[in-house]
Amino acid sequence: MTALPATPPMDMNGRTVLVTGASTGIGRATAEVLASLGARVIANGRDASRLSQVVSQLPGQGHLAETFDLSRMDEVAPWLKDLCARHGPLNGLAHCAGIQMTRAVRQVDQAFFDQTMHVNLGSAVALARGFRQKGCKGEPAAMVFVSSIAGLIGQPGNVVYAASKGGLMSAVRALAMEFLRDGIRVNAVAPALVDTEMAARSRATMTAEQYQYMLDQHPMGIGQPQDVAHPIAFLLSDASRWINAVTLPVEGGYLAR
Amino acid sequence: MNVQLFLDKICEVLEIEPGSLKGDEPLDSLDNWDSLAVISFIALADEELGVIVDAEKLSNAQSVRDLLDLVSDKVSA
Repeated sequence: MTALPATPPMDMNGRTVLVTGASTGIGRATAEVLASLGARVIANGRDASRLSQVVSQLPGQGHLAETFDLSRMDEVAPWLKDLCARHGPLNGLAHCAGIQMTRAVRQVDQAFFDQTMHVNLGSAVALARGFRQKGCKGEPAAMVFVSSIAGLIGQPGNVVYAASKGGLMSAVRALAMEFLRDGIRVNAVAPALVDTEMAARSRATMTAEQYQYMLDQHPMGIGQPQDVAHPIAFLLSDASRWINAVTLPVEGGYLAR
Repeated sequence: MNVQLFLDKICEVLEIEPGSLKGDEPLDSLDNWDSLAVISFIALADEELGVIVDAEKLSNAQSVRDLLDLVSDKVSA
């Protein structure tokens, strides 16, 4: 019989994890799940007051709020270096920040394209660059990015978002291989529709019929933020020690239809 | 924004000649009024006028006039 580990594999005690987009939605739920597993959470977002509220409600001690705009790509690595100099190295990074705006290609201009790609993909690469710096990555170390099934299906009106999330999946594979020498695992989750503020804003940009059509594609209904937070925690923990360079669909069977 | 300018922007969304719309056309008479045109109109109202169009009211729109009514606070004759 295989000897059971002394510590549960998903135990995150003694680990420090940076969670971006932590003010709301999947990011907030991820911060909560990681804290409940024993991690010290550094919560990042752009809204200081919302971040403070999230941090104050996390179980456990030692959690921190760090505001920073991740779209400032060239400033991310120095910011991470400074953050880790103050708070110690990171064992994990959950990148949950992102934007989604429905926009038919006929209305896509460079500004829209650049903003979506910058926030969704550029920030991810910038965070990876920062995370691998000496003094930033702990032991063990893992990154998880929040992609989307939009990068795996064809949704009219969602071309640029899909490109950013599909690009993220490709970046994860290359990053995982590049970071082998750094001892950092890199994975992603690809959720379907999750009940978040971002989804509610997106809903406002489509008709009731379009939204219902989307709902009807979800065999198990839409997800809740915790449904994505738990897989993220799994991919950051020792329980996924031998999982690397993958994008895990988290979608209630959406892709099987 | 004046009505004619907004009508011309709707023409862009529908990919028809600027000036083609007078404002009283039934939507089902417009070849390109499809689901992509709908989301493009929503994006147009948001970006150009700062108006979040009520999707339910939009789905009930029957004419170009009904579309203008959805943004009437921001579009002047």
